[in-house]
Amino acid sequence: MDYGDTEEVQQVHAAIQREKQEPRVGLEPLSIWLIAIYAIAIFCGGAYLGRFSGNFNGESLDPGSVPEKKVGAAGPGGSQQTAELSPADRGKKIFSANCATCHQANGLGVAGQYPPLVGSEYVINGSRRPAMIVLKGLEGPLTVKGSHFGTAVMQPWDKTLTDAKIADVLTYIRSDWGNNAAPVTAEQVAALRKELAGHPGSWHEADLQAVPADANLPGGEQSAEPKPGAPPQGSAPPSTPGAQPPKP
Amino acid sequence: MKGITPLILGIFGTVAFSWLGLAYVPNLQIGHLDPQSDEEGTDIYPMPKSGMAERGRKVYVANGCFYCHSEQVRADYAASDIDRKWGDRRSAPRDYIFDRPVELGKMRMGPDLANVGKRAPADDQNAPPNASPAAGASPATTGATNAPAAASPPAATASPAAPTAVAPTAQQSASPAAPAGGSPTTAQQPISPVAGAATSLEGSRSDSPPIYSAAWHHRHLYSPRNLNIDSGMPAYKFLYDKRRVGGQAAEDALTLTGDEAVGEGWEIVPSYDAKCLVAYLMSLDQSHALKEVKSTTPPSPPAPGKSAK
Amino acid sequence: MNPAEIPLKSPGSVTDLSAAEVESVERALIDASIRVPVLMFYASAIGWLLVGTLLGLFASFKMHSPDWISNVAFLTWGRLSPTYLNVMLYGWASNAGIGTAIWLMARLCRTTLRHPLVLAAGGGFWNFGVFLGVIGILIGDSTGYQWLEFPSYAAVVLLVGYSLVISWAVLMFRFRRGESIYITQWYLLGAFLWFPWIYLAAQAMLFIVPVQGVMQAAVNWWYANNLLFLWLGSLGLGTAYYMIPKVIGRPVYSYHLAAIGFWTYAFFASWTGMQRLIDGPFPAWMITASIAAMILCVIPFATVGLNHHMTMRGHFGLLRYSPTLRFTVFGAISYTAFAAVGVVISLRTFARYLHFSEVSEAYTQLGLYAFFSMIMFGAMYYIMPRLVGREWRYASLIKMHFWASAYGIGLMTLMLLAGGLVQGLNMDNPTLAFTESTQSVLPYLRGRTVAAVLLTVAHFVFAYHFVLMLLGLGRTASVPTFLNPVNREPEDSIAH
Repeated sequence: MDYGDTEEVQQVHAAIQREKQEPRVGLEPLSIWLIAIYAIAIFCGGAYLGRFSGNFNGESLDPGSVPEKKVGAAGPGGSQQTAELSPADRGKKIFSANCATCHQANGLGVAGQYPPLVGSEYVINGSRRPAMIVLKGLEGPLTVKGSHFGTAVMQPWDKTLTDAKIADVLTYIRSDWGNNAAPVTAEQVAALRKELAGHPGSWHEADLQAVPADANLPGGEQSAEPKPGAPPQGSAPPSTPGAQPPKP
Repeated sequence: MKGITPLILGIFGTVAFSWLGLAYVPNLQIGHLDPQSDEEGTDIYPMPKSGMAERGRKVYVANGCFYCHSEQVRADYAASDIDRKWGDRRSAPRDYIFDRPVELGKMRMGPDLANVGKRAPADDQNAPPNASPAAGASPATTGATNAPAAASPPAATASPAAPTAVAPTAQQSASPAAPAGGSPTTAQQPISPVAGAATSLEGSRSDSPPIYSAAWHHRHLYSPRNLNIDSGMPAYKFLYDKRRVGGQAAEDALTLTGDEAVGEGWEIVPSYDAKCLVAYLMSLDQSHALKEVKSTTPPSPPAPGKSAK
Repeated sequence: MNPAEIPLKSPGSVTDLSAAEVESVERALIDASIRVPVLMFYASAIGWLLVGTLLGLFASFKMHSPDWISNVAFLTWGRLSPTYLNVMLYGWASNAGIGTAIWLMARLCRTTLRHPLVLAAGGGFWNFGVFLGVIGILIGDSTGYQWLEFPSYAAVVLLVGYSLVISWAVLMFRFRRGESIYITQWYLLGAFLWFPWIYLAAQAMLFIVPVQGVMQAAVNWWYANNLLFLWLGSLGLGTAYYMIPKVIGRPVYSYHLAAIGFWTYAFFASWTGMQRLIDGPFPAWMITASIAAMILCVIPFATVGLNHHMTMRGHFGLLRYSPTLRFTVFGAISYTAFAAVGVVISLRTFARYLHFSEVSEAYTQLGLYAFFSMIMFGAMYYIMPRLVGREWRYASLIKMHFWASAYGIGLMTLMLLAGGLVQGLNMDNPTLAFTESTQSVLPYLRGRTVAAVLLTVAHFVFAYHFVLMLLGLGRTASVPTFLNPVNREPEDSIAH
């Protein structure tokens, strides 16, 4: 390229000639306000991530994933056994995790301290009384199967266990160890929970005695008396919580 | 910035990181799902669509239906999709494993179509009539409709009202011929006529075919506002042929009334593309229960032995 | 001729030129070397802009009058609408962006472009690809993936064209002179390297080895969002980082802000996308991650906005005169609005009412038009006189272009936001029939058509002006064309 060319270029391009030099960069420091904005954004973003992450699990489609989902649905696809656990089997797990410390794994309790569940009149009759006790707890003294329990205290479980878990555990204690009472469904527990929503503290023996022994939970089946002809134990109750027990 | 190397590395690093996080890892998590089945290996869901329906998907895509229609139901806590009877449960990744391209949609200028095939009257016949609006979408009915349908097609065809009609499930190509001679009984009982999406479409003429039946789809595609004055959908008349009746009228000809009626001796028949498109629409059905999704309707009458958690 | 041999930095060999003159000769040489490809990119960009505007106008009209010309398959709304968006994305925005980026790259790397015709050939391939893609969508070959509707045969041609473009851009960078790399170059280099990555990854995961089911949608939105942020966003921001300090003649406010803004942008913006699938059939964490990234994007948005603002401070009066500055600042401000809308609509709380409504369209328009296109207009107003050696002919046409564009996009955004909100609220209310929601948005869609008419006017005015420039019919004065007559200020301070 010879020099004449550039001169020509130079003449034509007035715009180029007059323009300012290429941009440069200043070195002003960050303002404190900006750092505050960063902090807020990082905090909000992090909080959002923590709140709605669903534990980064590929299967939790719902952001506020409820822990109860874990109970039945373990593996994807084939693992049918875990998904198909009967309510009583699920109840057994919940029982051993939460209740067996006091009532013992065999359901016999501890003499003088923790009442038994096996054959207990509070367990094997109507479903209302046991559900009341599990939901709101109980404070002694109390008489079960003729034995006196002066200081028995049971904590309320309504904050800790979901309706489905309470129903499962009730179904379990009412059907194992020779007990033979009708299963309880989550809806029934939910209804009772709603009914008792305003109730402040634990029950006393008098409260429970006020409820007829064979009173059942609302929304359930009518015939919940123990059926003499039914098989004693071992055979799992009907696999679905809502199924009607066979009519005598 | 002085060095070129950190710049280039950073540029590649950031995009690689986002690709790993939003494409690669999720693909490990939900990119290799199998259809679910029960212990006997029957009742498989989902199933691949029929050839006609797959071709219909191409028509659906080519004409940009997915810009106005979504194919996903959101959970009850997040939106009112389920209240609108667009489905019984939220959609899950497993619902889409055979879809290609998958058309989740980004806008709803038209109603959601995730379950439009399930809402067809042919399926309703299998379900016990259910008066209660809330229970109309319960898993009991869906389980009932699907279990026999997938397991034993003869049982479904034995259903009295629709011997010819559309297909118990997705696999079967919905023959548009069927509803043209469709039984009048189906007209009586479209989906629950309560508030909701369906209602708006029903404020239409008395002579309209049962809603979401194949005949209804054809008429709706041909002339949306002939069926529903409030519809904002463009007409897809180019998918239909107008021709002279030769001999006797084609059995798949559209029954048109009002200003759309064609003159004596003429008839409107769906092209093959239109038939495929309708077959595709009729195949859209996510009502089958999925293990990983809790049904949002209370599990009071759960499907026998399945997925009530 | 080897650019390194240009005797610019050694005044000894050209003794009769002052340092300032040496610089302007250098610039003249650079501009001369890239004139053909840049003009070609610009011309095709504006051609596509007109096509896209008309398509958009038709599509907008058909939204509320669905029976209008509905009997022709290739004019049905479902084909016009994606054609419109793809023409705007790949025809207008990408062409304009590439043209501007090439020019900026050459200027900032201080190197002339060798073999400009190869670059022009790349542009030819690119435009042919867009053309094929448009035809493909119209005849019904759309792939069905948002913003990737171009069928494979068009995508291949696009990629060939792009690989030529990127090779030349990177070559220019390779032969750059001067030791420091200016902010604009970060963004441009980022855009040039990001685009092929996201495009190839999306093509591979959607067409070559297709992923299963909903993952397609995830890949699709990952691509679409990154196209908006990493490709167009980076090109737009890079251009703004050049034009604003260049026109007002003072340094960018802070290097630190620029660096933080760039890296947080690259890091967080690339993680967004899944928020467009909110509440969809995906693991919750994917969507939440994108929403959190969107929240964190407040950092780059605020930083870049502040940096531009502080650079401009004290010089806002220049907006009265300089067309470039006015368009660029409009775009930069829109960027903040774009960011704000983006963060708000991504939150789960609001998504219930805004998802699946026209609000998302408003968001796209804010990003694609109010931010990116306006900045590109500004760059064109700056660059064209330097390429053709003429000044813009009519200040009135520039003003008309600006106001029609500004009011047009303002009205469109407002209509879509308000309409989308009404639509979303009605949609969320299950006691209302679904058609209530689509009916209630119709008045707003009519307003949107009015806005589209305004934009059409703006673009035809601009295209006419541009053609005048191409034909060498611009003014030959040595003073730039200002929007308003300069009386008070010394001319030097606003020379541009």
